[in-house]
Amino acid sequence: MVIGLNHYLILAAALFLTGAAGVLARRNTLIMLMGVEIMLCSVNIVFAAYSRALGDMSGHVFVIMNFAIAAAEAAIGLAILVAIYRIKRSVNADELNSLKE
Amino acid sequence: MTANLMAILPYLVLAGGALLVMLVDSFVKSMRKDHLSNLSLLVLLGSLVAQQFTQQYSSDLFAGLLATSKFTFYMNTLFVAIALLTVNYASSLYSRSSSFSSEFYPLILLATLGMCLMAAATDMLVLFIAIEMMSMAVYLMVAGNRKSIKSVEAGFKYLILGAFASAILLMGMALLYGQTGSTLYSSFAAVSSSGGLMTSLAVGLLLIGFGFKIAMVPFHMWTPDVYDGAPSHITGFMATGVKAAAMAAMIRIVWVLIPQVSVVWAPLIGVLAVLTMTIGNLVALAQSNIKRMLAWSSIAHAGYLLLGLMTLLKPTSDSAVLSVVADNAGGALLFYLLAYAVMNLGAFGIISYLAKNRGEEADNIERYAGLSRTRPLVAASLAIFMFSLAGIPPTIGFAGKFYIFEGVVKAGMIPLAIWGVVNSLLSAYYYLRIIIVMYMKDPEESSYKGSSWETAFATSVLAIISVLLGVIPAPIRDVAVAAFKSLGQSG
Repeated sequence: MVIGLNHYLILAAALFLTGAAGVLARRNTLIMLMGVEIMLCSVNIVFAAYSRALGDMSGHVFVIMNFAIAAAEAAIGLAILVAIYRIKRSVNADELNSLKE
Repeated sequence: MTANLMAILPYLVLAGGALLVMLVDSFVKSMRKDHLSNLSLLVLLGSLVAQQFTQQYSSDLFAGLLATSKFTFYMNTLFVAIALLTVNYASSLYSRSSSFSSEFYPLILLATLGMCLMAAATDMLVLFIAIEMMSMAVYLMVAGNRKSIKSVEAGFKYLILGAFASAILLMGMALLYGQTGSTLYSSFAAVSSSGGLMTSLAVGLLLIGFGFKIAMVPFHMWTPDVYDGAPSHITGFMATGVKAAAMAAMIRIVWVLIPQVSVVWAPLIGVLAVLTMTIGNLVALAQSNIKRMLAWSSIAHAGYLLLGLMTLLKPTSDSAVLSVVADNAGGALLFYLLAYAVMNLGAFGIISYLAKNRGEEADNIERYAGLSRTRPLVAASLAIFMFSLAGIPPTIGFAGKFYIFEGVVKAGMIPLAIWGVVNSLLSAYYYLRIIIVMYMKDPEESSYKGSSWETAFATSVLAIISVLLGVIPAPIRDVAVAAFKSLGQSG
């Protein structure tokens, strides 16, 4: 079997949905952050696959930039989580309920 | 190359200024915090001045990655003005309270840079980096009050949902890249109008991504929590700057994609606009917390903006008629962004002003009782902003709504315009309630009192601008139309 563009796209779609499910369904804030990172990685696969299929380099450039952005996002997310942990001694999303009507 | 660098001088000033402020903050220990705010103000003014020197516009900087035009000039001026006011609000707060740290100053400069680049980007990569530059700075500013659980919690919620939306937006960009083979906006025109499933999916994902940023129903659920938890001056910055930047980027993308998307997307955006303003206004009626009320009101205002965006998309066969209608609708949209910035920044400035003496947010509407007697000038300003948000003449809010609805009527969608006016009437109820509390009730022991004259002065100036531009909106409106025209023909 030849692995073609569509296989990569299907893999990326599966990863994207896995990440989205992680953000929406899990209650541990660290897992939610990981979910977002998985979503960003799945986009990288799409860019790389299309870049290769089209013979165009700008997709690869996008992937490199994306790494940096995903890393910055994780750093900021963890920094805010540390701030939350210092106040609440917990990082469970269900206990983040101080903002209610 | 030198010409390219000259053209982006305003952005370079912001970027260099942000680094300078960060270094000064770290290494000059004796620096007082109000000097940092003065330095930031200087950087922002420097960027405005640099912009005056770079008025030879170019649509093709760095091989088509950026374009400067009257459009970017208009938007940059708006963003820098919003940042100037926010720094003004923050400075008196930060020099007195220890719960805020001075990282705010480089962050707001970077956020402003991100916004300016969002309006100038003509390439998806630049756009994405700009969006992230703005968003990440704003996540941190929202969580800026590190001792308050509400603030850090709001920061985290905004970060998770913002990053989620960014991932969706990015997936849309990736699919669009797959269809066009390039990340440049100019290549979108090559997508055939029957682009098929993948193109529709890509544009849909882009719409969802931007929808999060401008708080469009059904992607608005983060808005009340984040607006409530963030420090008030940051909320004002988010509500006006982030929304305007997302809208500017959206206008640019939509404008090149029109031939591909108009048939399907115009009705869809129309429906979303109606939903957004109706839900925003209905829920705002029930709020007793002024920040949550203004959050829902900002959702409603996103609805009016979407209504303006939809008029741009209206498919017409007659291109001459189309371009006139589109120019007016686009001008109305840009004018509304300015109007919304003036009135909303004013309102949040006053909320931030009143919070001063207590170390807590002035968010309980009941405690605005008797403000007209203790702080007559501030109460009068807040009343003007509320009238303006409700769209009552002669204020800038009325002029903004008038132009938007005029565009909708001219595009032949009279029922939508009527529904917009009904919504404005509905919203008058909750805006006027604040005025009633301020003017009809006696001051109580627990009523809020502010102290910082800088903020009071800035909000009074904004109130005067609201009325002034409400009486004679035409000159600014002409500037907005010219700014929109500089985007060129669609497609």
